[in-house]
Amino acid sequence: MSMSARSATRLLLQGIAGPLQLAESDWEYVLRLARMSGLHGRLAAANKDNPALPAPIRRHLLSAERMCAFNQQMLKGELSSLAELCDGQFPVVLLKGSAYFLQGHAFTRGRFVSDVDLLVPREHLRSMEQRLRSAGWKPAELDPYDERYYRDWSHETPPMRFPGHFLEVDLHHAITPVTTRLRFDPAPLFETSQALPGTPFRALSLEDQVLHACLHCFQDGDLSLRLREVADIDGLLQSAAGLHGFAECLADRAARLGLQRPLWYGLHFAHAWMGTLQAQEVLARLEAPPAVCRAAMERLVPLAMLPSDPDFPPSAGVHLARLAMLTRYHLQRMPLRMLLPHLARKAGLRMRSRFAGHAPAQNA
Amino acid sequence: MPAYRVLDVGAARIGVYSPIARFHADLDTVYPHQSREDPAAFADVRVSLLPDAPLLRPWKRQVSLWSEATRPFDPYPRDSALPLFEWGGNWLIAQRLNAYLLLHAGVAARNDRALILPAAPGSGKSTLTCALHLAGWRFLSDEFGVIDPESGLVLPLIKPAALKNRSIEVIGAHPGAVLGPVFPGTRKGDVAHFVPGRDSHDGRHRPARPRLVVFPRYQAGATLSCTPVPEAEAAMRLGLNSFNYRALGTVGFQAVIRLARESHAWELVYDSLDSAIETIENLLERAP
Repeated sequence: MSMSARSATRLLLQGIAGPLQLAESDWEYVLRLARMSGLHGRLAAANKDNPALPAPIRRHLLSAERMCAFNQQMLKGELSSLAELCDGQFPVVLLKGSAYFLQGHAFTRGRFVSDVDLLVPREHLRSMEQRLRSAGWKPAELDPYDERYYRDWSHETPPMRFPGHFLEVDLHHAITPVTTRLRFDPAPLFETSQALPGTPFRALSLEDQVLHACLHCFQDGDLSLRLREVADIDGLLQSAAGLHGFAECLADRAARLGLQRPLWYGLHFAHAWMGTLQAQEVLARLEAPPAVCRAAMERLVPLAMLPSDPDFPPSAGVHLARLAMLTRYHLQRMPLRMLLPHLARKAGLRMRSRFAGHAPAQNA
Repeated sequence: MPAYRVLDVGAARIGVYSPIARFHADLDTVYPHQSREDPAAFADVRVSLLPDAPLLRPWKRQVSLWSEATRPFDPYPRDSALPLFEWGGNWLIAQRLNAYLLLHAGVAARNDRALILPAAPGSGKSTLTCALHLAGWRFLSDEFGVIDPESGLVLPLIKPAALKNRSIEVIGAHPGAVLGPVFPGTRKGDVAHFVPGRDSHDGRHRPARPRLVVFPRYQAGATLSCTPVPEAEAAMRLGLNSFNYRALGTVGFQAVIRLARESHAWELVYDSLDSAIETIENLLERAP
């Protein structure tokens, strides 16, 4: 096997768009990267009728296809339970995966969802949370510090789950944390949101969905599924391909909400990794970030976000890049006077659990 | 690419790399029939067992299982790399082999007529599977009943059987039983691995037709009792004793229905292994 993780990633991204023709051992390598980035379901969907599949690969893709069918079945079930809690008194917007799924975007074929994200106006947050609780959803058990962290500094309530259900529900009142520099009033998101026919839910406008995907891609702490987020950005832009004037609307919307920078990075990497044609037209309308930032991101983002070699533990370079991205994320998320005590506390907890003999969970 | 050692266990191929000499010696003991496969040939699961960096906790020598650049489990003591590999490998197999219905079951066969022993942990299915093998049955698995939904056949997945605590003496006392080293005080108590014989290994690509389902329950001091399980109940209980029945949806449903229709199902409460085996031999003769 002579392939590098980087060239296999390129093949993987081709493989979620259309059938691949590879030798068995190369297929195995691509499949491993697909699992690492949560794209194995999409790889399976795009290669379902591929006649050139080696038998063991067909078996693994069938396995991924079945797991994805189950995941989507669980999503349907969760959404139908949630629908009963919506009485039209205030808008309930589905964010990300569940909205893409109900809208029937092409890239949801084989796309796994990990949770259901709901957005409601802040003044109705408590009421929605109360409805969920009385209907049987239970919040994750948190210590008082984490609870306060969510309540005061975050843009969502602690995750909730109905006992026995597979998917978690995250309730948001904004799409950026309240402490971040990028925070903005979420009211315009509701104004342009669209009804999802046959359901009581709404979805963000396509422009806002792209912006949210970009924001989420580079503003979140967990880096393991980031390639999937870039694939979402690509998929959303392809859905917009036939829409006249979309590039202009998207650039204007980013300017209005102050999200040009995350949009620029999201589109830039979608274009660099997936060759997203529609990205360039929008990029031309945006101001590029300063050369220093750009150069740093060009080095850090691929290291931190693309899957590393599956045969080895992540290299020191990968760890450093992830640490740098995490630092960037935290600095944008809250000012230093809040961040330093927060991280000190988290580090203290980790040390304590280590000395108590519990190994800290992976990626915690 | 690291120098993977690829083990062909029938329904799956497992690649493992480790620089730990003791681990390779243990593998030689519990996988004695494996020949050296091409390290780059297809593997369903690839893992590395690597010593943890000594800087982190110099007073503890530990080993971690790495899969796709992550560590899905807590580390084990350095000397217990084999139980970590066996346990972690099984977990990964259960995640990935969803092209099949995976029963949590022991499987043994006579003349390619298979007996399936679905059971919860602690019911004695591993012990019973090993004892049947020592009495001349072909060993297919002590953990996974791998059912191909298309053919309805059960596929062998021949890994060493992890025997716990008292089962180690019970099976070890048999003449002809080959066991690996005992690992004292793991999370599941003392563990030792029973090595299936050469003939079973050679038949690892030969599926068998399920004919008999026995839900075993070891109960100290019990008199042997054997009661028939109606088809519908058998199908339900097969589903309950499965790793992925729920996730497979209709495919899993059809597979357990077919399995229940094409075999006889019994519940067996036993104390003595010898009389349990005798009863099972009789049941197989009467099965379709």
